[in-house]
Amino acid sequence: MTALDAYRPLRQAAEERWRVLAEPSIPVFRVAVATCSKAAGAGETLAAIREELARRGQEALVLEVGCPGLCFADPVVDVHLPGYPRVLYGPVRSQDVPRLLEAILGPQKALPELALGMIPEEGIPPAAYQGTSMGNLPLLQETDWMRLQVRRLMANVGIIEPANAEHYIARGGYEALARALDMTPEEVIKEVLDAGLWGRGGAAFPTGRKWDFLRQARVTPKYLICNADEGDPGSFVNRNLLEGDPHLIIEGMAIAAWATGATRGYIYIRDEYPLAVQRMQEAIEDARRKGLLGQGILGSPLELELEVVRGAGSYVCGEETGLIASIEGMRGMPKIRPPYPAQAGVFGMPTNVNNVESYANVPLILRHGASWYASVGTERNKGTKMFSLSGNIRRAGVLEVPLGTPLRDVILVAGGGVPDGRRLKAVQPGGPLSGVVPASRIMARDGLPLEPEPFREMGMLMGSGGLVVMDESTCVVDLAIYFEWFAEDESCGRCTTCFAGTRRLLEILRRIAQGGGRPQDVELMQLLASTMRYSNCAHGQAAPTVIMSLLGLFREELDAHLLGRRCPARVCKGLVRYEIVEQAPELAEAAQVCPTGAVVREDGRYRIEQALCIKCNACREVAPAAVQVVDAF
Amino acid sequence: MSLTSRHASRFRPVEVTAEGADVQARVRHLLAGLRPGEAHLLDALHRVQEEMGYVPPQAIPLLATHFQTTPAAIYGVISFYSEIRTEPPPKVEVQWCSGPACLLKGGRNIRAALEAVLGCAMNSSTPDGAIGLRLVQCDGTCHLAPLVRVGGRYIGPLTVAEVVRLARRLKEGGQLS
Repeated sequence: MTALDAYRPLRQAAEERWRVLAEPSIPVFRVAVATCSKAAGAGETLAAIREELARRGQEALVLEVGCPGLCFADPVVDVHLPGYPRVLYGPVRSQDVPRLLEAILGPQKALPELALGMIPEEGIPPAAYQGTSMGNLPLLQETDWMRLQVRRLMANVGIIEPANAEHYIARGGYEALARALDMTPEEVIKEVLDAGLWGRGGAAFPTGRKWDFLRQARVTPKYLICNADEGDPGSFVNRNLLEGDPHLIIEGMAIAAWATGATRGYIYIRDEYPLAVQRMQEAIEDARRKGLLGQGILGSPLELELEVVRGAGSYVCGEETGLIASIEGMRGMPKIRPPYPAQAGVFGMPTNVNNVESYANVPLILRHGASWYASVGTERNKGTKMFSLSGNIRRAGVLEVPLGTPLRDVILVAGGGVPDGRRLKAVQPGGPLSGVVPASRIMARDGLPLEPEPFREMGMLMGSGGLVVMDESTCVVDLAIYFEWFAEDESCGRCTTCFAGTRRLLEILRRIAQGGGRPQDVELMQLLASTMRYSNCAHGQAAPTVIMSLLGLFREELDAHLLGRRCPARVCKGLVRYEIVEQAPELAEAAQVCPTGAVVREDGRYRIEQALCIKCNACREVAPAAVQVVDAF
Repeated sequence: MSLTSRHASRFRPVEVTAEGADVQARVRHLLAGLRPGEAHLLDALHRVQEEMGYVPPQAIPLLATHFQTTPAAIYGVISFYSEIRTEPPPKVEVQWCSGPACLLKGGRNIRAALEAVLGCAMNSSTPDGAIGLRLVQCDGTCHLAPLVRVGGRYIGPLTVAEVVRLARRLKEGGQLS
């Protein structure tokens, strides 16, 4: 009996039970319950929907699903009425629930003012809903947020109950594993290589080749590690998958186990993602119950045990050797390579470390084949990539686009551009160690395709998926201080070049921001940067590179700080002063709100006591016309 | 509970008071099922912290014995990870997000206002332990930037004036909203 034969009855049973949701006879509500939507009140919305349904005596199915990526519209709710296409609503706050239910359960079938878009379904002709409010709704896929997107990795996110193996199977899940088990490990690796999959964690190393190193290792047991320590601030694509479709990652790891001979695996999830830890643990248990983990998986000789390890707050644990040290219960300090993990990894055993998204791509390749997989993307880079959009942008959230999609389009079309009439200044891809791309490069003719090569040409990295958008109100020195603070704070302390170098750089930058810049500072920083490149791992090597390229790109702005003691964006607190320019009535409130009592009234006139002022901008918020930020020097 | 003789001389013994003995009994209970030589130490630290709010010093020798290592190694691990606390948490903790989206939207101003109103620096508490301020990392809730978290609740996007009022309410022992 082949593994596929063992899989088929599972699939049939799952599809049978899924029909209740695919062709429902009662309304189905899918509430996105993820870290992002819960922060915006999804828990309250969920409770309100249950309560309102009970009050109305309305029978319905209410599912907690992952976040479909539209964080800007959180909390989002997907409503599927019997005989009608699905409609995504957002933001649906708890107080909106009564009128939402009133509208959709009535003759209008939809509430257009809260609708984000409709998700048409085969078998339901538009005629079925003409004459209702649904007839005028836009198609979700045609909205600006969605139209660049191709959802393969995220195909189940927001649709299935994340930890439910049966839901995942009904949507075609674990078929790839069954297919892989009927192939030899070499054939599986060849398929992954043919698809052109490279590591999504940032380094872009071919996944199949990494697997082959482990396959060739002679020592057992062999280990797999899933790096879910998504530490780059502003990156949250892995979290979306961990919380929204954990079985996709488990299946990818099971296929990797077959291809490499590994029998144990760890999924290392950062401490900031408690919901991801919970969902992954539930998913592993459910997979085990279904015989998809453990021994003799789908009747094959494959054996795999997975365990979740919860991190404890350390950025360098995202570096693979640091991560291994952390799993072993030590300080998460990166080691010197070689030996590489494939030779001596966790507990000294051969180990393969891949990013969440790398594993998640594998089931797609094995299920649909390398040629299907390579049907989107560019000549050099195949498949899709998830990105998280945040910062000075109209729409923040998670999206999945074909590799090579211009960054310009992602920002202007999907993100809706920079708000408040400001102009784009730069974008930080990946994390604080990847680099900063200036607007001029993004607005170039090619729009900066999202694939590794154009970033490498600039001496940067595309990174793991974070895209932090900055507008002209950003000060580059302030930004450099942030990056260097982060690098200093998270340095593991092994290399003097790194822990002392980042500290020195930070001191110099802070001095510049305080107005104490010296002409020779640039040279000094360059000297430090070139010394820091001798650090052991990427943390110490990249930290100064980013600063230097940033300051090189915006040299004029740096010089204004350094030589003119002026912050053009008026951000650096040591270079600005708050002044009252007009005796407006709002100043009474400003005086009241000022946290240090620096807005004082004397002889009927308000003024700012400079010795007390902490430049927090509270007064200017309440009295914008009366208070101005001026150059301090 | 005594240390193994090999390690005793290297570690300043923790005075076992009645309270300390209670801590040790609770920690021992929490370590059930966790083994050395596996990926279990971080789990142990999380369990202790979830139960007691922090990892008290009395737990360190126990953890060392359980995981067949030295108290120094355990302390080394504890001090490496920013989410493991060695002090009891304040009654009310305001968590300030240090992420880039918050930074770009005025996060530094919010921090300055919080420190000024609450009267404590980042990662410290007021002397009476009533209220504290803690720096946290970005968890991708950037659509709410700039934000703070209080008691598991996310509050954002925030203006500085709103933060000042919020902090004053919390300082006076009042509610969130």
